[in-house]
Amino acid sequence: MSARRSQTLIGGGTVLLALLLAAGASQIHGEAGYAGVGPAFLPWLVSAALAVCGVLLMIASLRPGDGVHPERPPQDVPASEPAATDWSSMAWVSAGLLLNAALISRLGFVLSCALLFALAARGFRRSMGQPAGLRMLVRDALIGLALSAPVYWLFTKGLGLTLPGLTKTGWL
Amino acid sequence: MELWQQLLTGFATAATPINLMWAFVGCFIGTAVGVLPGIGPALTVAMLLPITANVPVTASMIMFAGIYYGAMYGGSTTSILLNTPGETGSMVTAMEGNLMAKHGRAGAALATAAIGSFVAGSVATVLVTLFSPFIADWALRLGPPEYFALMLLAFTTVSAVLGSSLLRGMTALFVGLAIGLIGIDQISGTSRYTLGVPELVDGIEVVLVAVGLFAVGEALYLALYEGRVVESRNAMSSLRMNRRDWRRSWPAWLRGTALGFPFGTIPAGGTEIPTFLSYSLERRMARGEDRAEFGRLGAIEGVAGPEAANNASVTAAMVPLLTLGIPTSNTTAILLSAFQNYGIQPGPTLFQTSAALVWALIASLYIGNVMLLVLNLPLVGLWVKLLKIPKPMLYAGILIFATVGVYGMRQSAFDLVLLYAIGLLGVLMRRFDFPTAPVIVGMILGPMAEAQLRNAISIGEGRWSVLIERPLSAGVLALCVLLLVAPPVLRRMAARRAAPASA
Repeated sequence: MSARRSQTLIGGGTVLLALLLAAGASQIHGEAGYAGVGPAFLPWLVSAALAVCGVLLMIASLRPGDGVHPERPPQDVPASEPAATDWSSMAWVSAGLLLNAALISRLGFVLSCALLFALAARGFRRSMGQPAGLRMLVRDALIGLALSAPVYWLFTKGLGLTLPGLTKTGWL
Repeated sequence: MELWQQLLTGFATAATPINLMWAFVGCFIGTAVGVLPGIGPALTVAMLLPITANVPVTASMIMFAGIYYGAMYGGSTTSILLNTPGETGSMVTAMEGNLMAKHGRAGAALATAAIGSFVAGSVATVLVTLFSPFIADWALRLGPPEYFALMLLAFTTVSAVLGSSLLRGMTALFVGLAIGLIGIDQISGTSRYTLGVPELVDGIEVVLVAVGLFAVGEALYLALYEGRVVESRNAMSSLRMNRRDWRRSWPAWLRGTALGFPFGTIPAGGTEIPTFLSYSLERRMARGEDRAEFGRLGAIEGVAGPEAANNASVTAAMVPLLTLGIPTSNTTAILLSAFQNYGIQPGPTLFQTSAALVWALIASLYIGNVMLLVLNLPLVGLWVKLLKIPKPMLYAGILIFATVGVYGMRQSAFDLVLLYAIGLLGVLMRRFDFPTAPVIVGMILGPMAEAQLRNAISIGEGRWSVLIERPLSAGVLALCVLLLVAPPVLRRMAARRAAPASA
């Protein structure tokens, strides 16, 4: 997908978001009070402004010349596409984060975060072209355990934060 | 004299062993996160916000201030040795500092950055001490119309002036405002955009958005695009500055401080503008041999000036935060929500209602500066070792801390899923070059600005003209329009002037 195509999509996405917000705004009922400045005023304003921004982003992306920066030539950002999109590495990191969300209340903070650490580190290793075999996965899981356990103790026992545990002992 | 009395009381509070310990912990963590790529002060403070539930307010604010300062000191180390500035404010330092390091003068560059930060931070803290009470007194006279206008000014500057493009900044700002809308409306009690999800009724916490955009977004971006980017590191050298370095550094420190402070105090914060201005000023003022070093061997003024400007404006940003309750950067926005967690609303009354806290905080800024100078120069070797942590470990570790920060707030797995979604938004924004600061500032200031607007209209008995009838709010609103209209017009004029010249 060309840089310009994806820019147009971003503009379109912004317009879509604006429409969703407008749909939500129409559901808000409340006393408008003075001069119509009620609870629905800002939602309408925000959705209108986002719609304008989205349309302008689309126009800018269709204008000949520059794809990335509509107003200024690219300076500090790479104008070209980044080398490649590494979806499989991202999938590993995503799996770690979402599994953590699903399991944290059941497995407890320490184990769930060790799993997050291992899966995410595996994703980063793959994206960096480093070996990411089963042995590394086990090693990362152990490092994750060695990190998440002290963090758990520090925050629950030292700073009084509530984090879920697998057992009631307060140590795991 | 009353001022000194209060400052001394502040020192008495800040210098108790336990508070000194918090300041030290803050400075230490701050320097570490400043050195480490991928995490900044805003993210770190955000991840630590849950501790506000159990740690006394003075202690945690002292620690957060230490983190805020420390990150600025640490950031220069990374930009000089790695040429990958951790914070936007160190971008300029990276230019000359990295050149100096390439030519074997890394030590001198680090020294001038650290001492310059100390000088600028200390001078700026004195100015904060002298000015804040007066600004707070003056601000007591401001009403809702003025506050609304000032908040609009903050919106305008954060999104229009700081980013790479007005349109992108504005889009980001309105996304932030939209996120801020979710939940129960403060004034009428109507629920907005809650979609029947109970977790959304309380609104989305700013911590969640900050951690999602910065930590999770950054991690996903690394996996998706940046894994193969290879960094080179410059070797360390002796920290001693020779006599010529000193002679060239100290005027640059003072000029940088003078440039940086005013920019921090106006609700147009951000460190990009003063650091760039300081860089071009130093370059223009340099003569002869010194000037020839710019862009080739690396000129020490080009590190000293911008670093001082950076620290002065970072310190000065405490002024609008404490006296007006208006944050002008990501980090001050998070600090504001830390205050709110304690039920304290920064603003002009803060100096009366929480005088002890404010003065202890200001005193801790003096102490923190000294601590940071001591932590940074002799221990620079230790900080450099931090750069050896392999990236997969570093980023996976950041995700664990992100979990602590977000899950620790209200023990909800829903928040962790939301965190991932915000992370995806962060990847999109980063990939397509949208600035993130307007999202955070819009999200925090949005509900406040809305409340002020509704109060202002009530005061005006339904007339919108109340916003332009009062001179101050009219003036500030005019300034907003000017900021939005002037840059494109000036650019067009410059283009027109350049066109015949090139033809």
